[in-house]
Amino acid sequence: MESWVINFLTIAMFFYIASFLLYIVRLLKGPTISDMVLAIDALGYDLAAFLIILSILFRNPILIPCSIVLTLWIYALDIYVAKYLEAKEMSE
Amino acid sequence: MNMDVELINWIVIIIGQILITIGVFCDFVAALLMIRFPNFYIRLHALTIGSIGGAVVPAVGAALIAIGSPFLGTFRWFLAGGALVVALFIFILGGAGSHAIARATYRAKIVEYRPCYIDQLAEDIGEDGC
Repeated sequence: MESWVINFLTIAMFFYIASFLLYIVRLLKGPTISDMVLAIDALGYDLAAFLIILSILFRNPILIPCSIVLTLWIYALDIYVAKYLEAKEMSE
Repeated sequence: MNMDVELINWIVIIIGQILITIGVFCDFVAALLMIRFPNFYIRLHALTIGSIGGAVVPAVGAALIAIGSPFLGTFRWFLAGGALVVALFIFILGGAGSHAIARATYRAKIVEYRPCYIDQLAEDIGEDGC
């Protein structure tokens, strides 16, 4: 059973890395700031899910708090950029 | 007794793997759409496919796989709980964040979409339509 789970997760990892590269292409190509923020959003949320799969593969629970914090930071990035774009003020 | 527990573990793992397969497929499609879609507002749809279908569903699937695999040891319950918390966070924050970005982009008029036929939000606000 163990090898069945580990092999499946390693195969899933390659698809994740492929979609990360496609997001990075949009990040570099994005004409406007908000396109880049979109790419970072999608990249960050998928990275959080990827960290969970990695923590199963590495048999080490230390990655879970990291993915929770990453999710919150990606949301904070959204709100900061939205505040900056709309009202030209960083939320002091 | 041992046979039943083994069977339940297998079922939970298979369900988790199905969820992860759906999530990985959604994620790959969202990445392709993020590149292929013409402008920012349509790419918002690709973003929410990638964040909800591509991150929440695999996180729940990974939690199920962690629960069903006893070879991980006792920390698998912590891992499943953490994965469900991450799934809940992404589920709530994904929509809110993309809505904030879309509102800011519209208000700051950063993205202009050429084939503009009707703009009801502009009419509601009182600005001149499309």
